[in-house]
Amino acid sequence: MPRAIIKVQNMSKTFISKERKKFLRPEKREIQALKSVDLDIYDGEIFGLLGPNGAGKTTLIKCLTTLLIPTEGTAWVNGFNLQKEENLVRASLGCMLMGERGLYWKLTGRENLEYFGALYHVPKEKRKERISYLTDLLNLQEFLDRTVETYSSGQKMIMAFAKSLVNDAPILFLDEPTVTMDVHAARELRRIVKELNREGHTIVYTTHQMFEADELCQRVAIIDRGEIIALGTPTQLKKSLKIQDVVNLEGVIPKGVAEKVKAIPGVKDAVIKDVKAGKSTLGVMCDNSRKLLPKIMEVLLENEVQIEYIQPQDITLEDVFIAKTGRALSVDTSEVPEEEKGGAGGRV
Amino acid sequence: MGTAIAGLGLYKKTPRTSFGVFASVLKARLIIISRYKGSLIMELFMPIVFAALPIMLGVSLASGGTPVAENWKISSGTADFRAFMLIGACTFSVVSLMTWLVGFWVRREMVTGTLESVWVTPAKKYLVIGGVTGYALIRAFTAFIISFLIGSLIFGVNPFQGNILIAVLFIMIGLLPLWGISFMFGALILKVKEANSLINMLQWVLAFFMGVYFPVTVLPGFLRYVALSFPPTWMTNGVRASLLEVGYFFEHWYIDLAIIFVFAAVVPLLGYMVFMRTEKRLKKNQGMGLY
Repeated sequence: MPRAIIKVQNMSKTFISKERKKFLRPEKREIQALKSVDLDIYDGEIFGLLGPNGAGKTTLIKCLTTLLIPTEGTAWVNGFNLQKEENLVRASLGCMLMGERGLYWKLTGRENLEYFGALYHVPKEKRKERISYLTDLLNLQEFLDRTVETYSSGQKMIMAFAKSLVNDAPILFLDEPTVTMDVHAARELRRIVKELNREGHTIVYTTHQMFEADELCQRVAIIDRGEIIALGTPTQLKKSLKIQDVVNLEGVIPKGVAEKVKAIPGVKDAVIKDVKAGKSTLGVMCDNSRKLLPKIMEVLLENEVQIEYIQPQDITLEDVFIAKTGRALSVDTSEVPEEEKGGAGGRV
Repeated sequence: MGTAIAGLGLYKKTPRTSFGVFASVLKARLIIISRYKGSLIMELFMPIVFAALPIMLGVSLASGGTPVAENWKISSGTADFRAFMLIGACTFSVVSLMTWLVGFWVRREMVTGTLESVWVTPAKKYLVIGGVTGYALIRAFTAFIISFLIGSLIFGVNPFQGNILIAVLFIMIGLLPLWGISFMFGALILKVKEANSLINMLQWVLAFFMGVYFPVTVLPGFLRYVALSFPPTWMTNGVRASLLEVGYFFEHWYIDLAIIFVFAAVVPLLGYMVFMRTEKRLKKNQGMGLY
């Protein structure tokens, strides 16, 4: 039985938000961002936290990194209690939460690493060694001694990643680390994340990109409206769908067509996954796409849908999310109307 | 207390690494401001501009033949109104710098996004804030000395009159209660976020009560007591009394200095408590990073 290095117990977080209505007094509204979350993250695993914007991922991470105090419940991080041993919890973590914004732009990369190393109580001589090690590991030589303001977005993200490694903490929280990186840099970062994991670091990784979670994470939690709706290895989660096929249809798809496709016998779910420049991608989950495709096409043609591209694909973690929620990951939970949410929920 | 399941990496808390937190924050602030040279130069001339207005008014009134300086001596204790104004403007500049630099430090870090990066480290907040206030102190003290010397040259004031050592003591110890006031400003900014106009106004209230352009003894009874409850009032008067012999509030310099000592012991603690309470309240709701 693996040891839980992070143990979350019945954690809830409620925000009080003020809604201003013109010149009237603001109305207070309670927003439940986390609802009784129980979770174990094991020592030495790469754990993925997936979910759309506003699902509660960032709130959970902020609670676990002591930036927020949970309204109810508690957690143990590296054996330390979140509320009673805050400083030792922080000492156990390396964090990349704000991306490039977590750096001082008027300082050089080296000065940033020195500064944050000191704030993590890394002795001066060890700091020098660590910076030198990170410089080689992440290829920082070219821009280490330039002020951060002169960096490209990718360089800033790499430096922010280096900052999270400066104290060589046993647990790493990486919140969307590859978001502004080019393909090559993102691939390189994922390689290093795997290497760090092999060295024994536990990594909590949040991402929107399902292939990243698929590639990196040993276990994944899908979070939506403050609740964990699925937890397991990527393979377990995909198998749990009990469907064979997913077909993506790209084109100009009017509103309401997804519902009509969903009504076809044999179709488990149909959701608009992505909308770009007037074109949408309709994801259709079914038992046998080859058999059902003529029927699907018939419904699409009846509704004057212009299809440009049809692509069968393997089941992804996004399909797991769609099957569990009926929505695509690209839909911001905070923008989903309250009546569709089935209760208060989910702003981060 | 729990034990670490997987160790603590390179974290090693010792008195040396704790001092390292303070020193690193101080150093980083000094490096950052050294990359804004224009702002530093402006800062040196601000007190001179502040002092120039009342000095020019005094000069023009005096040139009419009215014994303005004599009248001024009756209420303030010195005929050297130029030095009086210059000292007032320079101490106000110190107060202003301290409150802005420390009070707005949190706000700046919030907006730039670095606040959460700092708050997520195991560094004790008093060490981090200590580094910031240490930096503000160095900057404010240096600005005071340089502006006072330049201002003295411009307005024909003798900067080496009176007891300089006691004046320096008043400034050094007078800066300590300002830490506390700055923390309270910081807490206020954390709470109301866009507090620029409020802080601007409060600074002028402080300027009024600390007697930047007049001796607080001319204030009506109730207001005089309010003024005397502000630590900067004691610092300003202490510097003036030691350099211009305008008279201490309690006759002897050491009694006034003892009062400032009491402020120095109480106000920073009070300010720190207010700041940490506000921080905890924020963390219970939306968190520190929200701006």
